[in-house]
Amino acid sequence: MEITRRNLLLASAAIGASSVASRPSALAAEPELKLGVVGVLSGPAAQWGLALKGAVEFVAAEANRDRLVKIDGAPCQVSVVAIDSKYTAEGAAAAANTLAGQGVKFIIGPIGSPELTGLKPIGKRNSMLVMGNGYAKDALGPQWPLVFHVGPGPSGWADPIIKIAKQKFGIKSVVLVAPNDQGGTDIASVDADAYKKNGIAATEEYYQRGTTNFAPIVTRIMNAKPEAVDLASSPPGDAGIMVKQLRQAGFEGPIGRLGGPGYGEISRVAGGDAVLKDFYWYEPVLVDEKVQLIADEYKKLFGAERPENNLFFQWVSGARMVVKAIAKAGTITDTEKVAQALRGLPVDDPNIGSGHWIGQAFFGINQELSFPFGVGLVTNGQLQPIVPVEAATGK
Amino acid sequence: MEGIVATGLIGISLGAQYALLALGFTLIFGILGVVNFAHGGFYVLGGYLAYSAVTYLGVPYALAVIAAALGTTALGYLFERFVLDRVIDDHLATLMLTLGLYLMMSSGFLVLFGPQSPAFSFPLTGVLRGHGFYVPIENLVVLVVCLVGILLIYALIYHTDFGRALRALADDRAVATAQGLRPKLLFPTAFALATGLAGLTGALVTPILSLAPHVGDPVLATSFLIVILGGLGSIGGATVAAFIVGMVEAFSAVYLGGSKGALALFVLVLIMLVVRPSGLFGHRVRGA
Repeated sequence: MEITRRNLLLASAAIGASSVASRPSALAAEPELKLGVVGVLSGPAAQWGLALKGAVEFVAAEANRDRLVKIDGAPCQVSVVAIDSKYTAEGAAAAANTLAGQGVKFIIGPIGSPELTGLKPIGKRNSMLVMGNGYAKDALGPQWPLVFHVGPGPSGWADPIIKIAKQKFGIKSVVLVAPNDQGGTDIASVDADAYKKNGIAATEEYYQRGTTNFAPIVTRIMNAKPEAVDLASSPPGDAGIMVKQLRQAGFEGPIGRLGGPGYGEISRVAGGDAVLKDFYWYEPVLVDEKVQLIADEYKKLFGAERPENNLFFQWVSGARMVVKAIAKAGTITDTEKVAQALRGLPVDDPNIGSGHWIGQAFFGINQELSFPFGVGLVTNGQLQPIVPVEAATGK
Repeated sequence: MEGIVATGLIGISLGAQYALLALGFTLIFGILGVVNFAHGGFYVLGGYLAYSAVTYLGVPYALAVIAAALGTTALGYLFERFVLDRVIDDHLATLMLTLGLYLMMSSGFLVLFGPQSPAFSFPLTGVLRGHGFYVPIENLVVLVVCLVGILLIYALIYHTDFGRALRALADDRAVATAQGLRPKLLFPTAFALATGLAGLTGALVTPILSLAPHVGDPVLATSFLIVILGGLGSIGGATVAAFIVGMVEAFSAVYLGGSKGALALFVLVLIMLVVRPSGLFGHRVRGA
């Protein structure tokens, strides 16, 4: 046979394949559970993705230390494969495809609605179980039986927060402001419905994402003469500018942000708590002493501080639930069996507390984890302790 | 009537900021024939330089703004002189190089300063209130600085030998070079002037709005829109178009809403491109 580059490559491939096939598999002795992480790991929202990645790595390290996952009695090594979704639908879809190619059956993440929209069809095609986030109105549904929510969207928490804000500030009318894409409209419209159900007149205003100067939008809001303004899911940087410009325009009423955490950045951009004056927001996790223990444990396991963003704790509770379900189902390949086990698990975390499965009324499927959460308040320019709220029910 | 005055003031304020940004962008295209994709990056760099000078060195804000303008001027000079100048006539190469620089700058800001906006406020606060309108003092200061900056650029380009040399190079580089003008000296200087303007605007505007690694993205988009509307390479066109864009943005957002307002702006540019493809002052497009 003539020795050509092609023949050499073919021969090398054949030798490689035969050696792999004939080798007694060391991996077979200890099955490996790969947890896929799909989240934004670069760009302006990287902090959210790093919190997600850190949380799943922490839960994997916990599971390995405590030998939590056993398959047929044999301890199973848990590893993490993280891929940057770049906070886009196509990035998340590409990440899910890559994970499917690596045999990953469980995905923790993604974070945003566009990412979840892009990822779900790939997950469904490859029977992957997804514990994701994203406040889109169609984030979950009976057509996606393997997709779970790590925490409720506004349909879960908007109502109790509005009740607290109404009692505190006596609001009768509100203008909601958000970007004019799915990440804005799906949240602001649900928030608006919740305000209306509480007897507060609500109107919605949308702006083009990428707007840097909100003075014209603020003038439009001022013309509507609302008693309160809710910045919904406007990014913290945008929200901070709007707060500042609203106060400059003479707006004295309370300002809310029923869209997610971000108080620190909003306060910095606006110019401090004195500018926020009266401000309320959704805090996904109430970080008390018990929750802080997770951070201490993280430091022990990794020798470093936990990722800065508080969503870290929410992802820890979600990833722990998935690992518990895998351990209960006793399989790392049959995601339907794991999903069945997950649905049957009580919503309980040793640090975060106890909650419920919700989502039936809003999404048509009861696959949304609901743990206790908090309401952040600034009143008269003074930061108040986070108000603890029981896990949302009923929705 | 009161609403119209208030909205008009917002439009003028926006227009002045946009003009300072777009002048630099159009200068680079008009003189060098380069579409500078790193323009937004220099805006952000100006912001971070001023922020660093104030926060870490304790420099007064006014001096920090000057330092930021000088810093971005210096970086622009070095980039043109040692990187861009080697391929200055290859449009694809200059496009890729400026885009690459922007990506490097954005990533650098992210690594150095993190993804969140730092606390960086304008030193002057307070609002002037009249009958039915208000003007934040910080906006007023920025407006004055921007208008002075625009006048200085005009004086420099139209009333100095340096400006005449730049315009000669923009009109016909071969003839201008034969007359003894030196592109190797003038091109980096023109590029530096433009990046310095972007840096100055960034240092002035980011404390009023917000400073974060990616706030340069919309700056690039707006600059592009303005110079296309005004006519690529036209200094007068960019200035007029900047104020038109500022006014349209303000009035359409106030009276039509944020979504329809943004649409109105793009429809305006679309109509302009159909009716007058070379832009408002298209005849000034560089011939070099």
